[in-house]
Amino acid sequence: MLASDLQIPLPMVDRSTSAVEAAQLIASKHLPGLVVADKGGAPVAIVSSADVLRLMLPPYLIDDMSLAGVMDESGAEEMWAKSAGRTIGELLEDTRVNVRDILHVDADDSLVELAAKMVYAHALVAVVDGTPGEWRFVTLPLVMDAILAACGVNGSAA
Amino acid sequence: MTIQIVLAAIVFVGAYVLIATEKVPRIAVALGGAALMVIIGATDDHGVFFSEDTGIDWNVIFLLLGMMIIVGILQQSGVFEFLAIWAAKRAKGRPFVIMVMLVVITAVLSAFLDNVTTVLLIAPVTLLICDRLGTPPVPFLIAEVMASNIGGTSTLIGDPPNIIIASRAGLTFNDFVVNLAPIVAILLVVFVGMCWLLFRKQLHYDAERAARVMALNEREAIRDVPLLIKSLSVLALVLAGFILHSVIHLEPAIVALLGAGLLILLTRLENRKIFADVEWETLVFFAGLFIMVGSLVNLGIIEMIGKVAVDAVGTNYFGAATGLLVGSAFFSGIVDNIPYVATLAPLTNDLVMAGGAAAHPLWWSLALGADLGGNATAIGASANVVVLGIAKRNGHPISFWEFTKYGLIVTAVTIALCIPYLWLRYFMG
Repeated sequence: MLASDLQIPLPMVDRSTSAVEAAQLIASKHLPGLVVADKGGAPVAIVSSADVLRLMLPPYLIDDMSLAGVMDESGAEEMWAKSAGRTIGELLEDTRVNVRDILHVDADDSLVELAAKMVYAHALVAVVDGTPGEWRFVTLPLVMDAILAACGVNGSAA
Repeated sequence: MTIQIVLAAIVFVGAYVLIATEKVPRIAVALGGAALMVIIGATDDHGVFFSEDTGIDWNVIFLLLGMMIIVGILQQSGVFEFLAIWAAKRAKGRPFVIMVMLVVITAVLSAFLDNVTTVLLIAPVTLLICDRLGTPPVPFLIAEVMASNIGGTSTLIGDPPNIIIASRAGLTFNDFVVNLAPIVAILLVVFVGMCWLLFRKQLHYDAERAARVMALNEREAIRDVPLLIKSLSVLALVLAGFILHSVIHLEPAIVALLGAGLLILLTRLENRKIFADVEWETLVFFAGLFIMVGSLVNLGIIEMIGKVAVDAVGTNYFGAATGLLVGSAFFSGIVDNIPYVATLAPLTNDLVMAGGAAAHPLWWSLALGADLGGNATAIGASANVVVLGIAKRNGHPISFWEFTKYGLIVTAVTIALCIPYLWLRYFMG
């Protein structure tokens, strides 16, 4: 099995995408992360869904975990509402967030090559080079499924 | 003057300029400067590692290490956040009363924890409280970091320059409390009044917003009650060890290390959590500084400057104390007060040795000037820089001049008040 056999299209976000829009994409499509595109629409980085969740919390709550429990329900609702104004661009500029450059794999990479490259790069998603037209990607769950299938186990059903 | 002395002076001044301008990481400057001192023969392995006068001051390094471990474990309990929210609720959500309570809590905590740790603990909970109050957090953050620099002045462990001074001068924890805590208490009262004058127009009471503060549940901040009890017990033992120095004859560094060891044994936390707050970079920076300053001592440069200073001072020790106080405040506002005090400590020692008991208050002038001078500018103390970073990250940037305009006023008033204190306490009659 090759990378081209596993590739799929994925939605991409850009710097101006709001935290709420990004969260909607993750929640509706059960994505492990989001591909960030540059001004020209080319994929450049990956933000994990945990990083997008970080955008929805005020930074002081991440600095000090003891504060997470002290807030009441109405305070929490106010906090979620405030996060609507934050964007993916803020995440990219936050030096404490490890935004990864997107991993490039070749369309003819074997499953083993693909798995090794993704592990080495700690990649949730990789962009598949060498396929004309729309950008195509492989995701970690798809690679896992293919490996399980090769082991004779039904990954998606398990 | 030998070529070695000229080269050592060039290395030292060059390193100082690089540290002040922050063009190169300060740890690289300190280690690079130390390496150059060894290469030019200004010091050697014995001088670096084993000499009490010209080498790395292990008392300072290990006292810092021990306290960093203890505080790092204690802060995981959530007790400081509990205290801040409890205080805000006792203030019934009135902004200025909350500010006063947070200022006092910060100053008191700062006397026992280092200033950076204190502001790292107090700033996030302040942002939460201000968020609930719907009031701008900038006045609170500025007031807290200044309170931290003032409160840290009062004890041996409150501010790193005090640790250096204590080690070089042979001063105890009690010496610091007896000589500096009274003036710090006065300064704190005056500072609260200044907060009213400087910030009151930015603080508005809103009953509805105050109710949101009252809805915070401070008990949820305590994450680990057994850890809290163990940490506070060990901290109390360590403080008792400092205070009982004349009875138990254990140096502060040993007391802190024993406390850290005991706490590690009691809590059995994983290494990552034990050493989470140890700033290895700071400890290595200190080591590099001590080697550089020790090299100047080794070559007799400090002694030469000391002789000039002794001749200039004569017997006018009040004049010298005032000059040292004001000069230290000025330089500490511009450069990091740690390298400043590391350099001035051997020089002050020469003056005190020459003048005897009459010159001894110079140590307190150096401590007051260096510690309080940190408030003067946004880069005057590490804690200031840390708070500016937290404020920016949370969408409330504080510009250099916004901080400095308040800092200059607070520093001028606090330093001015120290002059009559020094006169009344040590030189009158």
